[in-house]
Amino acid sequence: MSLVLQGIVTGILTGGVYALMAAGLTLIFGVMDIINIAQGAFVILGAYLSYWLSVHLHIDLFLGLFITIPVMFVLGVILEWLLIRPLKRDRTQLSILVTYALAIIIEGLLYFFFSADNVKLFAWYTTQSIPVGPFYLPLIYLLAFALSVVLLAALYVLLYRTKFGRSVRATTQNRAAALLIGIDVERVAALTFGVGVALTAAGGMAYGATTPFTPNSHYDLISRLLVIIIFAGMGSLGGALIASVGMLVIENVTSLLWSPVWASTVFYVLLVIILLVRPQGLFGKFATRNQ
Amino acid sequence: MLLELTNVVAGYGGGDVLRGVNLAVEEGTITCIVGPNGAGKSTVFTVISGILKPRTGQILFKGKSLVGLSPQQVLTRGLVQVPQNHSLFPAMTVRENVELGAYMLRDRSLVRKRYDEIQALFPTVRERASEQAGSLSGGQQRLVEFARCLMLDPSLVLLDEPSMGLDPKTLREVFKTITTMKEAGRTILLVEQNARAGLRLADHGVVMESGQVRLDGPSEGVLNNPEISALYLGGSVSKQAAGA
Repeated sequence: MSLVLQGIVTGILTGGVYALMAAGLTLIFGVMDIINIAQGAFVILGAYLSYWLSVHLHIDLFLGLFITIPVMFVLGVILEWLLIRPLKRDRTQLSILVTYALAIIIEGLLYFFFSADNVKLFAWYTTQSIPVGPFYLPLIYLLAFALSVVLLAALYVLLYRTKFGRSVRATTQNRAAALLIGIDVERVAALTFGVGVALTAAGGMAYGATTPFTPNSHYDLISRLLVIIIFAGMGSLGGALIASVGMLVIENVTSLLWSPVWASTVFYVLLVIILLVRPQGLFGKFATRNQ
Repeated sequence: MLLELTNVVAGYGGGDVLRGVNLAVEEGTITCIVGPNGAGKSTVFTVISGILKPRTGQILFKGKSLVGLSPQQVLTRGLVQVPQNHSLFPAMTVRENVELGAYMLRDRSLVRKRYDEIQALFPTVRERASEQAGSLSGGQQRLVEFARCLMLDPSLVLLDEPSMGLDPKTLREVFKTITTMKEAGRTILLVEQNARAGLRLADHGVVMESGQVRLDGPSEGVLNNPEISALYLGGSVSKQAAGA
């Protein structure tokens, strides 16, 4: 029983971090109708940026986010303008190819600058554990979860309490109508891509502090993120949060009770079942989008 | 004239949909464009709204050119469009939808004032303000779209197929609202597939075919033109007029 409880708690904590990364991916899809295959590579890039700031400039992992988040935001805006905006036709399909190419480029650059060695982010709190009831929890898991909650709350405020957020939600629900009421949908798309990529800076730091990574870790990551947002329903932000936590809890419990080998398999078996039963995902937007 | 299109040529890809459109809309009137599918009626709207740039030709609104302006700039000139397909944001409330009509305005007190005026005019907005727009019936959604387009206090309203998908009772309500908008001083340009109903509502009728204006004049004259009646109105209008 204690093992199941531990699996659930760890699943919720890691699920929070995945929610942060998946939120960016689903937000970008919702607004722009593009599937950003490079989201995993951005996460790993964010992790390496935190690593570089920590090792070379001795900047704390959390404080470093004040640098990496704005840097990744600007990078996202530039890449949207350079690579995504020119895609005028067959946008969704072409975006898969373009962002996949982008992921390969990022991976290549990371190999060049950081080599293929395993890296993990270190700080005093990454090696500490604290007792929670009958078991010990790594402090970094709690801190990473808290960071995710804060950033997701900030994202909620941005989307539901600001004029920019209204323009994002309007563009997500009906791009043509948004254009006709005066929303600059291209500007919204660029800023949304920037926000989506900026979130990976924090996701990357949290991921790198809990998991060893190399430049090619993004393949596994993007597979999981895609499963989460398909499970949730493409474009559904709330769904992505629920799916992240749900999937990670199931994976962790499977890993602890059965075998780590089967944990990933269960992840994808669940995806197949969901696609068979409810192809639009749990909270799919296809039922509501009117365009 | 409030709006004038002169020799407007426009299209998508390699082909021209509009092949030299000449059109004038007088201030304070309702002008209805009718014509068969593919005539280019809705494309006229996308060109006026700044979504599609004309290849050649001139579009003057209040004497100033609209050519080359973005949709946002066209809106600020006082020209709004309600598109053919449902254009509400279904997961937002009715109030949010209507307020978004004033997205271009920065003065929040002005937005509140306009919203108060509009909810007084549209009972659906007042009564269903906190409900999701996607939960309304087709006719109610149409009325909310009208309400939203008035938030910018436009001089000219472009209505694309306002009767589409509506039952006769709702259609009467929607057309009554269009008349009310005209009485409040707005100029209306509408595209209508239901040609007979649209022309009866309008002061001025325009018949389009193959990207050009075939006939232009007072709506009653267009409605009773035997050739046009036979071609686009099922040939029955003249008979009805004769029987009346």
